[in-house]
Amino acid sequence: MKKRSAQYKRFTRSRFGNFVYFLFLIAAGLFTVLPLVYSVVTSFKPLDELLAFPPRFFVVRPNWKNYTALPDLLSNLEVPFIRYVFNQLFVTFAVVGLQLIVSVMAAFVLCQVKNKVTKALFLIIQFALLYNGTTLAVPQYLIYCNIGIIDTYWVYILPGLASTMGIFLIKQNMEASIPPVLIEAARIDGAGVWRIFTSIVLPLSKPALLTWTLFSFQNAWAIQSGNSIFSESLKTLPSVMGSITSSGISRSGSAMAVTVLMMIPPILVYLITQSNVLETMSHAGIKD
Amino acid sequence: MKFLQRRPSVERKKNRNGFLFCLPWCIGFLLFFFIPLIQSIAFSFSKVSVTTSGFELDFVGLENYYYILFQSPEYVDNLLDTLTTFGQQIPIIFVLSLIIAMILNSKFKGRTFFRSLYFIPVIIATGVVMRYLSGSVALQSMQGSAGDLETAYTGTMVNFQQFFEQMGIPESVSSMVFRYVNDIFNLIWQCGVHIILFISGLQAIPQSLYEVSKVEGATKWEEFWFVTIPCLGNTIVLVIVYSVIEFCVSTGNAVIQQAYTVLQKQQIYHISAAMLWLYFLIVACMIGLIFYLFNRLCLKKWQ
Repeated sequence: MKKRSAQYKRFTRSRFGNFVYFLFLIAAGLFTVLPLVYSVVTSFKPLDELLAFPPRFFVVRPNWKNYTALPDLLSNLEVPFIRYVFNQLFVTFAVVGLQLIVSVMAAFVLCQVKNKVTKALFLIIQFALLYNGTTLAVPQYLIYCNIGIIDTYWVYILPGLASTMGIFLIKQNMEASIPPVLIEAARIDGAGVWRIFTSIVLPLSKPALLTWTLFSFQNAWAIQSGNSIFSESLKTLPSVMGSITSSGISRSGSAMAVTVLMMIPPILVYLITQSNVLETMSHAGIKD
Repeated sequence: MKFLQRRPSVERKKNRNGFLFCLPWCIGFLLFFFIPLIQSIAFSFSKVSVTTSGFELDFVGLENYYYILFQSPEYVDNLLDTLTTFGQQIPIIFVLSLIIAMILNSKFKGRTFFRSLYFIPVIIATGVVMRYLSGSVALQSMQGSAGDLETAYTGTMVNFQQFFEQMGIPESVSSMVFRYVNDIFNLIWQCGVHIILFISGLQAIPQSLYEVSKVEGATKWEEFWFVTIPCLGNTIVLVIVYSVIEFCVSTGNAVIQQAYTVLQKQQIYHISAAMLWLYFLIVACMIGLIFYLFNRLCLKKWQ
């Protein structure tokens, strides 16, 4: 600690330098939050302010109209709105749960067993991080057809099995936070694979698990049916919200209100998992 | 399975159990990633026609690639466009995140707050919110070109263009500055993960090195170039590769957009597949080149 404080003193030697640093930080920080602030502010603007020219950043006469108009907009849907909410929650939790279990189990193996097969698998995972979903859209649709899951909840859930990002994150974190000696000791004490997994590996990789929960939640929250769901009763919130956001200038206020509402759950999850996330992401840089 | 037999039986049992753990993921990966991947490569080398019984593939060799390179009007332009944006953005992002990381790595009150602040875009940019933001007024007005009526009504958030005009700066200069200023949102929003990676890299540098350089009488500037940068070697490679990947996979860039349009609107699957595969090939080559050059020129010298 002493060394650190010495360095700190050197760093803060010049008041002016400090000031410049801090100014830079705040400026960059402003740019990061400005879009968020702007969308919140805009969601409170009445229509004439939304269309004002030249546009203003801040709202002069804030009101709740954009929000109170939402129930009206959502009341004449084909399927009751609550159904979409249910779909959204169900799909999100199913996807997050499945991805979490599958990824942590695979990461456990990749971390503990070192041979040619696991090395090759890890290499494949790293390459797979490179690809964009668009490439696979059509062949994936064919596969959905072949196994007959088109127009069911499975279309949302099963592709989550193929996630690679989670395995990568969790594995990197395991390498750094679980000493091999610990596993060895447990094995000598007679613990089986399952026992080791549940009482050593899982608790120790909690930060990585929380981080992956966050990322997987982001993606699951944004899942849209695409072309594989036809019945309205199986669609998720983004498709309903999408119909509001794309319905023209006069609704741009409500569109912004919807955006703000949809933003809340991911940010809440982030606030809960925040400290773990930063820790885990720093492990992502460790070369194995 | 030779490698399994050579080991003692406990080890073998462990391995067998291990692959059971891996199984769900492997099935999912094969079914929803690997097989589609192979299929899309096959698409790119053939002509896909939709019949009543499903898809029909006729092998045509490199014809699709020939088409997109020499006959398709926009593909090459889009490709070059993407690569130039990439060349402009990556260095800026790199420097910006290194500076922010170095500031955040020093001790001061509220640095945890700032760290999580800079990470927020990562959370938002990956999820549903970004889709709305980019589809709705906020980002359009930030990125939109000025003078366009469409953008005029959505409203520029901070109207830099007007600001410059009022200050009497000639339009050619102001429009250039304007472009970069507009990009700042874009750029800073992409820094989140890089900052975290850099911070962890910086923390791994042993403090004793700095003490030695101080004793030897190095200035801060020399210290930065001869201690910090060489020690960050691996992190730098990682950050560059990460930015390349992030940039290339993002749905915002022109090539992916074009391929997506061809796929969704015109439904010409083989062209779209060929477009994406050629693009990925170029990206993979670029990453390989970066790795090679960096290893050759920098890492060896530094270590």
